[in-house]
Amino acid sequence: MEHVVELKNVTKKFKGFSLKPINLQVRRGFVTGFIGANGAGKSTTIKMMMNLLKPDAGKVKLFGLDYQTHERAIKERIGFVYDGNVFYEGLNLKDIKRIVGPAYKRWDDKVFYRYVEQFELPLNKAIKTFSKGMQMKASLAIALSHHAELIIMDEPTAGLDPIFRRELLDLLQEIMLDGSRTIFFSTHITTDLDRIADYIAFINNGEMMFNQSIHDIAENYQLVKGGVDLLDRDTEKAFVHIHRTSTGFQALTDNIEAVKKTFGDSVVMERASLEDMMYYMKGGKQHVQFN
Amino acid sequence: MQIIISNSSKEPIYEQITNQIKSLILAGELKEGAALPSIRQLAKDLQISVITTKRAYEELEKAGFTYSIVGKGSFVAEQNLEVIREKKLRVIEEQLGAVITNSREIGLSLNQLQQLLKILYEE
Amino acid sequence: MFNLIRRDLILQKWQLLIFIPIIMFFIIMDKHPALIFLVASILIPFNAYAYDEKAETNILLNSLPYTRVEIIASRYLGAIVYMGLAIGVTCLALVTFNKPFTMSDMAIGGGLFLWFASFTFPLFYIFKSGYISTVVLIGFLILAGVGPSVFMFIAENLPVINDFIVSLSVPTLYTGVAVLTLIIYSVSWGVTTIIYQRKVF
Repeated sequence: MEHVVELKNVTKKFKGFSLKPINLQVRRGFVTGFIGANGAGKSTTIKMMMNLLKPDAGKVKLFGLDYQTHERAIKERIGFVYDGNVFYEGLNLKDIKRIVGPAYKRWDDKVFYRYVEQFELPLNKAIKTFSKGMQMKASLAIALSHHAELIIMDEPTAGLDPIFRRELLDLLQEIMLDGSRTIFFSTHITTDLDRIADYIAFINNGEMMFNQSIHDIAENYQLVKGGVDLLDRDTEKAFVHIHRTSTGFQALTDNIEAVKKTFGDSVVMERASLEDMMYYMKGGKQHVQFN
Repeated sequence: MQIIISNSSKEPIYEQITNQIKSLILAGELKEGAALPSIRQLAKDLQISVITTKRAYEELEKAGFTYSIVGKGSFVAEQNLEVIREKKLRVIEEQLGAVITNSREIGLSLNQLQQLLKILYEE
Repeated sequence: MFNLIRRDLILQKWQLLIFIPIIMFFIIMDKHPALIFLVASILIPFNAYAYDEKAETNILLNSLPYTRVEIIASRYLGAIVYMGLAIGVTCLALVTFNKPFTMSDMAIGGGLFLWFASFTFPLFYIFKSGYISTVVLIGFLILAGVGPSVFMFIAENLPVINDFIVSLSVPTLYTGVAVLTLIIYSVSWGVTTIIYQRKVF
């Protein structure tokens, strides 16, 4: 089984927001970064993966299993970290462990205490006294202590300082060493992903734009810069979106060959960052206006 | 094994890795049969994604510099030095061809070019 | 399942310390033993909802390897377990204070608790978090205020029912009420499970 998570034509409608039929596959043994602007549908998608929300239509499968018949077996194999603290905030870590631990067949106290030590977490202080970073570490310690195969994280780095974010990335790389684990995490801080993500899934306005390896993305998309006079109805077809200023244009292309053929050396082409892609794809395709 | 990655280089990271490992093999620093670090360990050490080191190793294998055994990892393959030397020579010839073309364009004579080469070579 | 039930003890270990004084207070005030049994039974299960009404708690429980059916079952089974414990502790307290009580006080206290739980538990999952405590408080007041008068009204104006009840032998009456209580409790359980399965977090 190559895919740990599989969403097939999943839809969900809310007041004022809907997920278009979503197809998403998360590959085993890799880190998939899930990017999109706030409100693009990241949390909704993650909630459906966790069965906190049921899709209106479509199929959600984890480890090839269905939530209807294998809910416990599936969740046994998932470690979760959410944006906010979901643990009883009045309890200390020891009591939370006493509540959460027995829920898992494969809970491992030794692993838990190792992480508690590594993260320097106090066992006898109420969670609500923890800083945001410490709460994240506590969630992570719990998520990693039952030999989960899939770690699902919703915005784990939001609100954390750069140093702590770096430490988290180091830790995630350590977790990935043994090859049996899969990490799926959503973020809108794309620089977190440059270092660690193998695949990037990009959701925009409830629609999956792509889910590709970082190499495919680098090979499929580039930023193009040049003079505005180069653009006309035909040439602009090669671009996803064009941003025009008085000094020239900048555009994102998903057709690198066509751009090379049309413009040759008259434009500058460079690697598009994830942020560039989020920015240029936000409005979908747009066309140059002729006066 | 020392590998240095530049994040600001135009050269993709996986290519930086393959090129540096190739040089290490050609220079004899990595001997035939030597084990390369695991894909995941290298990714962690270089602080890059697993898929990048995976691709670097795949390219090395495709080019015949390494071979892999499932479950054991990648190892340096036997290098046919004669063949490599010939390949390198061909590359040098091509590069010199480009140098000559450029020299003619700006009217650099053979003597001047030889002098330039001599200075650079002995540097 | 056992873990879900045990969770309430871990959560409320400090509140449990207040539990004894409250019972003592009622005993010293010389309240009817049936009322004391009722109050004692209500404390733990309803205090638990103060935690469970939070969205975070539901996200946590549903992210752990539990099904929604199990989460609700733990509430209904847990209520019975904690009722049993509360009644036991109250018995001890009553004995200590040398207050007389009968088996039927226990049965009435426990029975009333189960009825009250049957009607209020589903409410916790229908209303939005935050409103629940208010709803239950009002529910309790209505039950306490209107309940007896409705009861009296029925007794006075519907002699058929009154005669029917009086004509029953005591064991039949008790068995009948016990069976009815269990049926209502089970229906409430089923309804809550259906409501909870449709909930969105």
